[in-house]
Amino acid sequence: MSLLARLLRREDLHSLAAPYALDALESGERYRFEKHLSTCDSCAAEVRALSEDAARLAWSTAAPPPAAMRDRVLAAVRATPQAPSPIPEHTPQLPPHVWGTQPPPSRTRAPRERRPFFVPLATATAAAALVVASLFAVQARQTQDKLDAAQSQSREINHVLAAPDARAATGKDTEGRSIGVIASASEGRAIVTLSGYAEPPSGRVHQLWQMRPHAQPRSLGLFKQGDTPLVATGLNKSATSLAVTVEPDGGSAQPTSQPIVQLALKSLGFGE
Amino acid sequence: MEADELLVLVAGGDQKAFEELYGLVSGPVFGLVRRVVRDPAQSEEVAQEVLLELWRSAAKFDPGRGSALSWILTLAHRRAVDRVRSARAAVDREQREARRAHHPAFDQVTEEVEAGLEREWVRRCLDRLTALQRQSVTLAYYDGYTYREVAERLSLPLGTVKTRMRDGLTQLRKCLGGVA
Repeated sequence: MSLLARLLRREDLHSLAAPYALDALESGERYRFEKHLSTCDSCAAEVRALSEDAARLAWSTAAPPPAAMRDRVLAAVRATPQAPSPIPEHTPQLPPHVWGTQPPPSRTRAPRERRPFFVPLATATAAAALVVASLFAVQARQTQDKLDAAQSQSREINHVLAAPDARAATGKDTEGRSIGVIASASEGRAIVTLSGYAEPPSGRVHQLWQMRPHAQPRSLGLFKQGDTPLVATGLNKSATSLAVTVEPDGGSAQPTSQPIVQLALKSLGFGE
Repeated sequence: MEADELLVLVAGGDQKAFEELYGLVSGPVFGLVRRVVRDPAQSEEVAQEVLLELWRSAAKFDPGRGSALSWILTLAHRRAVDRVRSARAAVDREQREARRAHHPAFDQVTEEVEAGLEREWVRRCLDRLTALQRQSVTLAYYDGYTYREVAERLSLPLGTVKTRMRDGLTQLRKCLGGVA
């Protein structure tokens, strides 16, 4: 990338500080901005100040919560262990239902339909282990600056794990490299990890796509580092597979190369 | 005790401190979530998740990086926005327009504002922004729209919306008198 292009891109990222403070970025952009934030001290300071401003806006909306909420929250607090201090900041607790050994927890919002619950145990465990392993790898690298990004990601991940229809799958290629997915069709969300793939060459990224019959591939985001889980949102129920391609930095609107790996989503409750 | 000190105690497993923190922040958290999410049942669910998250993750709060209240409200806002966006993705566009026409972003803010110095102050400061600054900030913050969606709604170029958001927030800071 030329110096000018780099400066322009940097300028462009800088201008996202206010939308970021207002939570007005799409998830892919939020991700890219947080990546930039970890290397840009002046941006971090600006974001901090703008976030304080945004939080002031919250004060004009304060309203007393229903009285019963207090009891529920305090009861939950008594029953909930605390996460240990920052690093490792958020041990992802895999709820038993993801492993297929227990029925999913009940929720106020019932999933649109009930399917017989089935996860091939070995597969689910392998995928779950993969996700957990890469989370730890990420956390070990965490510096304080990167914590915020990781926190929001942990929240996303817990959200997927908590879905009643969360299921796991892995795909392996002939060379032993793998893709791991935990997904919830009702939430339209998935956590995707790549394992064993070399970092893309400089100026290139791994991009994740949703593949659907009679529809163009849709970008689900860019992988940050080789083994950092990507949280994909807005997955379509009729999606049939996920694919990963190598694209120029910043990602492409449509894939420009053959997938390096592809995973069918049928066993995860998609494809209808 | 201030939220910052309470959060430190909560991080050490102090349930009494959490009760006190709940008294301090449950109103702002619930009000903010309800403002963004709107649906009462879902708002309650999200607010509960946020408050429980405070208990679980209090140790992650770093006083060197900003105030506890800002940290808590940022967390609540992020959760609320995530919820409203996934719900919105499922709602038909026309329906959305109809609902919005019914509740214009800013009028509702005005409506919900009750007595209280801070509220009154925020409202006055919002009133002092230019219309585009105010709309850019409130559509994003109170209604959970992305800046692209805001640009579309206001028929403005993306760059303009980003600038209005930034200027709007900095003007608010000046008007409100710096960081709380």
